[in-house]
Amino acid sequence: MSPLTEIRVERLLGRLLVDAQGTAFGRIAEVEAEPRGDAYVVTAVLVGPEGRPARTLAFLHQLPTLRAVGIGRKPRVRRVPWSWLDLTDPAHPRLREKVSE
Amino acid sequence: MRIGSEVLDQQAVDADGRLMGKVDGVALRLDGDTAEISAVLLGGATMLWRISPRLARWAERRRWTTATTRIAWSKVRKIGVDVKVDVDAERTPAFRWERWVRDRIIGRIPGA
Amino acid sequence: MGKLLEVALGIVTGIGGFLEAGSLATAAQAGAGFGFQLVWAIVLGSICIAFLTEMAGRLAAVSHHTMPDAMRERFGLRFFLVPLITVGLVSFLVLASEIGGVSLALQFATGVPARWWALPVAVALWLLLWKGTFSVVEKGASLLGLVTLTFVVAAFRLGPEPREVLAGILPSLPSHEPAKYWFTAVSILGASVSPYLFYFYSAGAVEDGWDESYLMVNRLTAGLGMTFGGCVAVAALVCAAVVLQPRGIGVDQYDQVALLLSTPLGRAGFWLFVASLGIACAGAALQIALQIAYLTAQGFGWPWSENLYPRQAARFSLVYTLALPLAALLILAGMDVLKLTIMSMALTALSLPVTVVPLLVLMNDPLYLGDHTNGWISNAAVLVVSAIACLVALVAIPLQILGGS
Repeated sequence: MSPLTEIRVERLLGRLLVDAQGTAFGRIAEVEAEPRGDAYVVTAVLVGPEGRPARTLAFLHQLPTLRAVGIGRKPRVRRVPWSWLDLTDPAHPRLREKVSE
Repeated sequence: MRIGSEVLDQQAVDADGRLMGKVDGVALRLDGDTAEISAVLLGGATMLWRISPRLARWAERRRWTTATTRIAWSKVRKIGVDVKVDVDAERTPAFRWERWVRDRIIGRIPGA
Repeated sequence: MGKLLEVALGIVTGIGGFLEAGSLATAAQAGAGFGFQLVWAIVLGSICIAFLTEMAGRLAAVSHHTMPDAMRERFGLRFFLVPLITVGLVSFLVLASEIGGVSLALQFATGVPARWWALPVAVALWLLLWKGTFSVVEKGASLLGLVTLTFVVAAFRLGPEPREVLAGILPSLPSHEPAKYWFTAVSILGASVSPYLFYFYSAGAVEDGWDESYLMVNRLTAGLGMTFGGCVAVAALVCAAVVLQPRGIGVDQYDQVALLLSTPLGRAGFWLFVASLGIACAGAALQIALQIAYLTAQGFGWPWSENLYPRQAARFSLVYTLALPLAALLILAGMDVLKLTIMSMALTALSLPVTVVPLLVLMNDPLYLGDHTNGWISNAAVLVVSAIACLVALVAIPLQILGGS
């Protein structure tokens, strides 16, 4: 298979990210980039909760009124360096071997 | 910079200040382990894909969609309130429907 | 000094533009059916719309985004389609009601049945949008709409017991016909908190180039404009409560609504009613048609502005060019204007959360509002009222349909 040369950010967002063992790690919530010279280099992805209940609670957490009465939960968001991602199949992103919290 | 919230779905404005459309896609060029932003994309199948991938495939097969406007990242001038791009909207597929409606419908009504 | 004038103009615009087919019809039905008991619904609705309008203005002034703009950008295209289609459809029905209102006013004036006026009215309104600028449309319609202050005059003339009116400000349970009571309450909420009002307001703030220095202007305009506007709706309710309820006259035709002004003010009252109905509904129709165009164009990023020539914003202009005659077709087809009005108000209430929840998320996001995110009162007031409106509508609308109106 020829190496992939282009990936679309909008197709990466929302994808389930699994670890090297195949266990669900989270959903890709954001892609971060930094300017280096003239180019913007991708540095990391932000990974949020993967289940629908957790994501719903995260959405509701944005409303202060609901927060005040205890509805909604702040989602756990983890930053994963770009180099840790294995994107040979962009529809099914995986983490490479070295993984830590 | 957070691509999802600062580039994707933002308003694209052309060199003359005309509203061009919303950024429907962002392309990354992969080079081994590194990736850099190579282009922003507007309209066409890219936009349809955001609604439903199946819709995009179906529309592409039947040629029911305009081409996606691809703007190289080097032409993107500013990310802020809008994404300012150094192109002329009139010459891009993004304005194909605007031109069509203007020439065939709106332009034909007096006082336009 | 300039800003003071803006505030004054904004408040006057809010007063003149408040009453339209929906708020008039629902206030009349409430007064006729339940006396002063439903004043609280108008008060609650006015408070809610005041907060929502202020938010829309603040969003525009600080982030330089209109609401549809910001909603598309913050939530993405797929999510945005939900409010786009929901608000678009409901607004379309309300637009038909307003065109119906103008048509009825012309029927009262000329005797020619309303349905034949629908398309000519749509064309006349279209011409105003085609040739007009934003300021002319917004301010012209609302200033002329000050004729609706006749209801306030009439209410004083009818001399209700102030104590009874004030008692209505507190919510109370109905003594009879509970299903109809709650349906009427919900339709009043939908009439007061119409999304087109604050979508239009937010587009206006951007069209007028508001920035952070306008935050106080915005607060005063939204707060006072909507509060005083609500008073005009209360006045209409009072008229109905004094004129119709004691005689057991229900409101199922606009002819009965005309009695609200013709009883205390005689022949002049009748003509003022015709003028009020025609002008108020025409103004609302212009705003709604524009609002549907704003919603679509801003969501998809097309060029938009009422201040551009139509050929400079072709797709935007096409939307309102299509919306007006299509809405008129509903009236031409013979749809009952009053029933359509009341039902579209109730549907507005039902669909409120679809607009309000994303707006609240935006209003609490420092990325858009910087230091000017919502205070807890704005958040709570709007969320609670919208939730109540939606939940009550969920129950009341099916009951109304099943019970037959």
